[in-house]
Amino acid sequence: MPSYELAMVLRQMSRPEIVSVLKRTAGTLLDRGCVIRKLENLGTRALPHKISEHGIVHREGTYFNISFDAAPTKISDFMEEFGRDIDIVRRRIFKIEEPEEFQCTLHEEMLPPAYRKDVQEMIDIAKRKQKRKFKYNSGLDYYPFQK
Amino acid sequence: MLRTTTGVLARLTINESKTSSSAFALEFVRWRRKPRWLPVAKSKLYRVPERKEQNAEERAELMRLHNNYKLQMRSLRQYLREEVLRLNVTTTADHIVLTPEQEEAEFARCMQENETWNQKIAVERNERLLKERERQAVEIRERLEAARVREEERMERIEEIVRREKELAKTFITHENLETAIEQALANPVDYNFSIDLQGNIYRGRTTLPGGKGTPATSGVQDTEVQQTIEASN
Repeated sequence: MPSYELAMVLRQMSRPEIVSVLKRTAGTLLDRGCVIRKLENLGTRALPHKISEHGIVHREGTYFNISFDAAPTKISDFMEEFGRDIDIVRRRIFKIEEPEEFQCTLHEEMLPPAYRKDVQEMIDIAKRKQKRKFKYNSGLDYYPFQK
Repeated sequence: MLRTTTGVLARLTINESKTSSSAFALEFVRWRRKPRWLPVAKSKLYRVPERKEQNAEERAELMRLHNNYKLQMRSLRQYLREEVLRLNVTTTADHIVLTPEQEEAEFARCMQENETWNQKIAVERNERLLKERERQAVEIRERLEAARVREEERMERIEEIVRREKELAKTFITHENLETAIEQALANPVDYNFSIDLQGNIYRGRTTLPGGKGTPATSGVQDTEVQQTIEASN
């Protein structure tokens, strides 16, 4: 099962209500055979803009993050189900990807252009593309090619 | 095609009416001859060409000469053909004639030579096939070994994943510990925000300021990290 991440914003509620909403959400996931890896609270704060959802205007929300493993076919069902929940203002499910491995090459990129490897390669390519020219010190007293 | 006719002046005087009032007599010659699809001209429709008279004596003489020529040529050709056929049968100039014993011996010799060639080639072939078989065997062994190593590595990777997941499985949230997990989460809000200064110091938290001011809204581990980074920056 691939790993997913459910990011959701709950409406402004009292603590017991939040607990019940979380229980409901997590219970839905668990009932459908998901494995919940992590449940995080990202805090309560003002929404970036007022959001009208389920007929109510929201200005504050509590952010939650649930990491879980689920069958890919179930994801649209979850989205549909959480969309019907009037306590959830926003929800989105992301796929968790393996972080890409990379190496810092800043010190190479900070070099002057003439010392950078990619610039040198480009110069080489340009040189290779240049048309061959008759060298006048070749010892011949005539231009040996068709003009 | 345009062609200026010669004798313009003469033509002008004679055929004044034909060339109308043109000062320059131009004749348009579009076709060299009558096209194939045109019918016989009306004026030549019922014309029967006259047959030329032939002299009877002259005709008889020509016939005699013609017959003579044909007869002589035919007999000459027949004679030559017969001569060629006769020569083909009797002469031995272009091929060697052998007696049956000689033929038998020649055949035996050819067979023997063929046999020796075959043997030589068979030896070479066997050597080559043997070498190829050995090479194939080595190749197959190498590939088997590579496949085994690959499979081992794969199994190792899988084992590693399984071990990691087993380790993580202790922290998974189930129906039993769901309530405690929710309590824990509500009690400890997580903050992934951070800022970074030119020295590369990381200030974790949404409202953390360099110098320890602000309210660090992070868990304990991150708090100590922030403190360390702040100390390092100071």
